[in-house]
Amino acid sequence: MRRYILRRLLQGLVLLVLVATIVFFLGRLTGNPVDLMLPEDATQEDRQALIETLGLDGPLHQQFGLFVANALRGDLGQSIRYRQPAVEVFFSRLPNTLMIVPGAMILAVILGVPLGILSALYRGSFIDRVSGTIAVLGIATPHFWLGILLIYIFSVQLDWLPTSRMGDYRHFVLPTVTLSTFLLAGFMRLIRSSMLEILDSEFVKLARIKGLSETIVVWKHCLRNALIPMLTLWGVFMGGLVTGAIVTETVFAWPGIGRLTYEAVIFRDFPLLQAAIIMDAVLIVFINLIVDILYAYVDPRIRLAE
Amino acid sequence: MKHCGLLNGWLFAFLLALAWTAMAAEEQQGTLVVALDTLGAQSMDPIQETRSAHAHYQAPMYDSIVGLNFEKGGAGPGVAERWELAKDGLSWIFHIRKGLKWHNGDPITAHDVKFSLERTMSKESISSRGPGLRRDVKSIDVLDDYTVQVHTNGVQVYFAEGLSRATYQEGQLMPKKYIETVGVEGFRKKPIGSGPWKFVKSVPGDRIEYEAVDYPHRMGTPHFKRLILLLVPEESTRVAMVRTGEAAIASISPESIKEVKAAKLKVVSVPGTMQAVYQIYGLYRPESQKNPLADKRVREALSLAIDRQQIIEHVMYGEAKMPMPFATFGYSVDDDTERWQKWSREALRYDPQRAKKLLAEAGYPNGFELKFANTAMAGTPFMTQIGLAITDFWNRLGVKVNYTHYEWGSFAPLLLREQNQLVGVASMYRTAGRPVAAARFYGAFHSKGAHHLLGRGNDCPELCKTFDELHRAVTVEQDAVKRAEKTNRMIELVSDAWIAVPIIEGMGYWAVNPKMVGAFKAIPGRHEFGDLFQRMPRPEQKPWQ
Repeated sequence: MRRYILRRLLQGLVLLVLVATIVFFLGRLTGNPVDLMLPEDATQEDRQALIETLGLDGPLHQQFGLFVANALRGDLGQSIRYRQPAVEVFFSRLPNTLMIVPGAMILAVILGVPLGILSALYRGSFIDRVSGTIAVLGIATPHFWLGILLIYIFSVQLDWLPTSRMGDYRHFVLPTVTLSTFLLAGFMRLIRSSMLEILDSEFVKLARIKGLSETIVVWKHCLRNALIPMLTLWGVFMGGLVTGAIVTETVFAWPGIGRLTYEAVIFRDFPLLQAAIIMDAVLIVFINLIVDILYAYVDPRIRLAE
Repeated sequence: MKHCGLLNGWLFAFLLALAWTAMAAEEQQGTLVVALDTLGAQSMDPIQETRSAHAHYQAPMYDSIVGLNFEKGGAGPGVAERWELAKDGLSWIFHIRKGLKWHNGDPITAHDVKFSLERTMSKESISSRGPGLRRDVKSIDVLDDYTVQVHTNGVQVYFAEGLSRATYQEGQLMPKKYIETVGVEGFRKKPIGSGPWKFVKSVPGDRIEYEAVDYPHRMGTPHFKRLILLLVPEESTRVAMVRTGEAAIASISPESIKEVKAAKLKVVSVPGTMQAVYQIYGLYRPESQKNPLADKRVREALSLAIDRQQIIEHVMYGEAKMPMPFATFGYSVDDDTERWQKWSREALRYDPQRAKKLLAEAGYPNGFELKFANTAMAGTPFMTQIGLAITDFWNRLGVKVNYTHYEWGSFAPLLLREQNQLVGVASMYRTAGRPVAAARFYGAFHSKGAHHLLGRGNDCPELCKTFDELHRAVTVEQDAVKRAEKTNRMIELVSDAWIAVPIIEGMGYWAVNPKMVGAFKAIPGRHEFGDLFQRMPRPEQKPWQ
């Protein structure tokens, strides 16, 4: 097991180095913050002066060398826009995102798992069709549009909830619901298909022949096994939640890391963009590592194969 | 007896001040909430902001050396009540108002002006005109507590206008004594200014809160007690906030005008904030000489093929105007507004027959292939729609438009460097509304300018040389009448070239909830409201008609 974890950690580290390298070079291919900062009548000398002030002078490989050397010391540079250490800016916004992501995850589990089970148990019934429709809509509806629609209905027309921004509990409802829809739909469909597969398996038939009650068959034998693939999906979806937060946070004026990443792209704030993506990657790698470890515990075949 | 009189005088003044404070406190009520699309770098240190967002959120708390003309737009009196160019043209003298104070009560003096300019010019500053100031300013002398002399490198006739927020941000005034006492970090955490609003709190990525000063302010004493600027990037959300009353005012684009009016909200349009133009690059280069666009008749035909009125009505929902020549507005200095308005009506008319005739005369009766780069700069997303509209008009003329869309951040490097990929290409561009056209002309047409549309370096043909000479003549001419003559000649030269062609004069658009804020008038040319919040009445004080 220790070797397994160590291997996963090393893989994660290689992935982070790759992500950092790609972000560094790709970001610089798409433009330059100086071009967006200077006025129309700026001269080439003005441009050069600002490039030097921002530390963007010198050949690219030299800048990359400096970036790597600093990154090894935990310094991902200073945000061009905010004139603060990029990591500091990232961590100042992270708690805001973490306020809605777990809520979205919990909502998706609370609604998605029971609906998935009911759909499987009552296959072809009205419940199955309704939850199937919810799943399709949840996957097909863009967060962006859904967010605006919810604001229109619940804030503008009904005046039940605030349109946006952080605040008391009422402010959390719309962003959390918006962010959870994709996840909810995914969980629902996955649980349904896993349950259907397991309900049809030999060991479930045996349990029924043995005379076990349907409740025990469903909750003890079927659900425990059906939840295994959900773990994998959970790891993948956490990444989706972080990227999904870009849209949700923009619509709901939520000052989290999603919006921060978006602004860093638009403004070509390279150090902040690098920091945001690397830290996002660290978060996702870490979550996936936990999932892998849990998976190995839950499913002994994984451990044995390793 | 004499002492008694003096004492009575002091007592009277003290009671008057007390009475005013009590009155002002009673007068100032409620909170003005404004939802904005950007708060820029959201730094309260003026030298850490680069572009126009400063006029949203720094302007409420930082007064400016040269102010604004609230009625006409352009520069007006500020912390300096007047200024003059020295006889030799090599220095500017600014006379500072007496009796102004910082939010901590310290008086504003000439030392603060010198300190602010030097801080803006420092290497530490990333303010967008910082490098330009370093180039233009030789030294700064404090002549007495209320007089500053700025020595310039050469004659800089527009130097004073550049210190107004009508033009740039670099005239913002910072407190010397306070910064030297608390240090730069202390200032950034707890900034003070001398504007009508005091800083209270900044939550990064979310909002900035201010409190009104409770004494009479030269820019107007606020009617609201508090001001909150919210960062709400999504426009639909901003409009929803104004509809629900969560915000009183929100910045919008023309697409939302219909929705805002339907919801019985007010639309406030700020005239002359920008001009949408198209520009043609690299026509001076030898490799462009076979390009159809090298023929002036073809370029004029492209302009005549555009029905600007249709764009104003259908793309801008009626909230735009026919433009004047490139980078000139009703409030521009040193040009003949009437003449250029007349020119605009004639030269920028929609005349497809004449356009076709000109194309045929140039040898392209069946049109030609034109590369067109459509792009929208930050804050003006509707430029893309305008770009699509002119593509349609050109296609109708018989020109086959090879259309590419660029995100602005990706297009800017193509434009601001060698322009090798843009030779013979037309693109959308926006020029912001500023009172000094010469500055914009430098960027667009000068051989050392960022866009260098007429020529560059040694590759500067006759038209380019003529422009460079004329531009220099304008910017060093101390006689206002002669300067206006030369400015008009410069505008004529560029307008006749049809290389940077105005499409429409755009406005700044705001959705306003009339139940949350009273009637107010925008400052022409200044899209942002940072200089205006203190003039906004509460709804009961001045209801909307």
